[in-house]
Amino acid sequence: MTRSQITHPITQFLFCLTLLIPGCSASNRGSEQSSLLTQTASGNPRGDITVWSWNIAAKALMQATPAFERKHPGVHVHVEMTGARMQTRIMLALAAGVGAPDVASLQQTEAPYFISTRQFTDLTPVAEKYRSMFPRSAWNNCTLNGRIYAIPWDLGPCAIYYKRDLFLRYGIDPNRIKTWDDYIAAGQEILHKSGGRTKMLPLGSNDLESMFELLIEETGAQVFDGDGRIAINSAQSRQALEIIRRMRAAGICSDVPAYSQEWMAGFNDESIATYPGAFWLSGTIEDSSTDYTSKKGNWAVFRLPSVVPGGIHVSNLGGSVLVIPAQCSNKTAAWAFVEYALCSREGQLSLYQSEKLFPAFLPALKSPAIDARDPFFGGQHVGSFFAEGVTDIRPLNRTKNWTEAVGYLQQDLSHWASTGMNDPGFFHRLELKLESRLDEPSARSGDSQQ
Amino acid sequence: MNPQWITQVRRYRHFYLFISPFFLLFAVFGLYPLLFSLYLSFVKWDGMTAMQWVGLGNFRRMLDDDILRRSLWNTLIIGLLYVPPMMIMAFVFAQLLNAPWLKLKALYRAALFVPCVTPMVVIAVVFGVIFSPEDGVLNFILQRIGHLLPFLHFQGEIPWLTSEDWSKVSVSILVVWRWTGYNMVLMLAGLQGIPADYYEAAEVDGASAFQRMWHITLPMMRPTFRFCGLLSLLGTIYMFDEVFVLTNGGPGTSSTNFGMYLFNISFDQFKFGYASCVAYSVAIFVFAAALLVNRLNRGEQEGA
Repeated sequence: MTRSQITHPITQFLFCLTLLIPGCSASNRGSEQSSLLTQTASGNPRGDITVWSWNIAAKALMQATPAFERKHPGVHVHVEMTGARMQTRIMLALAAGVGAPDVASLQQTEAPYFISTRQFTDLTPVAEKYRSMFPRSAWNNCTLNGRIYAIPWDLGPCAIYYKRDLFLRYGIDPNRIKTWDDYIAAGQEILHKSGGRTKMLPLGSNDLESMFELLIEETGAQVFDGDGRIAINSAQSRQALEIIRRMRAAGICSDVPAYSQEWMAGFNDESIATYPGAFWLSGTIEDSSTDYTSKKGNWAVFRLPSVVPGGIHVSNLGGSVLVIPAQCSNKTAAWAFVEYALCSREGQLSLYQSEKLFPAFLPALKSPAIDARDPFFGGQHVGSFFAEGVTDIRPLNRTKNWTEAVGYLQQDLSHWASTGMNDPGFFHRLELKLESRLDEPSARSGDSQQ
Repeated sequence: MNPQWITQVRRYRHFYLFISPFFLLFAVFGLYPLLFSLYLSFVKWDGMTAMQWVGLGNFRRMLDDDILRRSLWNTLIIGLLYVPPMMIMAFVFAQLLNAPWLKLKALYRAALFVPCVTPMVVIAVVFGVIFSPEDGVLNFILQRIGHLLPFLHFQGEIPWLTSEDWSKVSVSILVVWRWTGYNMVLMLAGLQGIPADYYEAAEVDGASAFQRMWHITLPMMRPTFRFCGLLSLLGTIYMFDEVFVLTNGGPGTSSTNFGMYLFNISFDQFKFGYASCVAYSVAIFVFAAALLVNRLNRGEQEGA
């Protein structure tokens, strides 16, 4: 018997907490109070503010706090590390109308959902001047109807991490891998020369979604169009899926779930030659390749392959933002903190240096700290390597439905992978599924329905 | 109001005060969520913005929710896959542990009970390695057996977690491993509750071991079996963490059971109204089924 009714107690607990506090129905105070922010933003901020963030991000903010408090002696910042389930905590606080922090961090991908609830301060009056200082792809997750409700924090520009010694041994030149076709060919060569021992990349059939997301940023596909209508059924989507199919069919993928035991083990043995991933993966690689660090310089990075020769070779996975809930009673101090942490070179660089969070603030990317040689990666200028091309990253339209849509995408991709990867109607069916489940029209519903 | 009723309450008010903690706690943590959840079944609510009354809209939506149907079907299949072997094994182990000749009983009992107190995180890592399609332990063992006994045609390349046909089997294996010990303890208690004189009398009458099992043990164990069955029914429907850590409901929706589905719609999609509606509807069915089992139980006891 399995007495594990986790869902049930959690649900009940959540609901009962929410309603213990009277008047929980959400209030739309965001727009009224934003004017308050403009009026006082110029004044001298003072008071205590509370910031919620998760592990590494919270640590980085804690490190940045003393410098901020020296600049604004009247403000005291308390950074709280909320651990898992921060989403739920924020949601409870927003629903209850009390208890939200003054500043909170959100994942870039979930930001549009939270923003759509209109429970956050409209930062447009004070943040407008920074619009050109962040890449367009990052702003896309922070705005609603042209208004700014969140400030981009870090980016996740992607590249391919590879093991230099394996590439040398099998005679592969990473500089000649320009397209995904080259990448697959190199993978087959490594597979062949290693006697089938070394796979090119980890790509678990149950988590194809992030690879798909990485690829559609190159092909130019979108899940939603600019108006939030479903736009997944496109030639560009099929192009991305075809690359995944070819990679898997070539036998170069190790079918292990991301962050599983075997996925991590691949850092230290020869089972996996490369890890396509975002900048933030470099920290994990450095911390986990305990056997490889003794042979420093075995890891290096090369550019993401492009879909066609000379095509786009940048993508973004992950990243986060800071928001100021509308409940916040000291918006001036909260904004002063956000402005210092994210919209100044000093703030962003301190976050980068303490916890390797890659600045979305473009002026920070031009500093010598970013350009430093990284001994772990054999002296490569890893920071500026990743900084190159971040402004070319194609923005994805995420909308409030992103998380749910991606859930269905994930489901369908794993179904596709486990049933022969041959399904010409894949995106048509996914489109219909999204239409019926999200209550959103499809961009092409006119012609696809008839 | 009945005035007599009020005077009664006033007269015994101290006693009511003494029993009030339970009722207060129940009202806050039991009754209130229950009623609130019922109310939520009729609204559309994401937890943050204002609730929107949709009447029976959630119920209508439920009728053509193919993922819900799929998840209920998966729940049934997983239940059928794991309950019979688990019950049989639990019964066999309980019999063995109850045997007078067995030494080190406490050790075996503890060993069999350990899986259901092992943290899920540990289980996730270990079973991930066991079921892995790349050099997994289980496939390795099957391969070895295949080499030793070629006529069995074991290839040892079963995609335990990456194929839609096997994902339910993998979940079931994990569940059997985790909960056999728990059921065994229940059955052991049942076995020890059978008076020894029955067996003595049967032995004097010349009954064989099989006859003693058939005519004494099994009939006397029936209430225990039913209790275990009821727990398994509830456990199957609300099973969550086993699926969550092992397959996360995939590939596709092939191992998404009801508990997993409920988690998805409430905590991934924040559809609290719809989730309450689904939870309530299924809970009513479960309640009816449990009632039926209970009724059967009572009927038999009276008939006996």
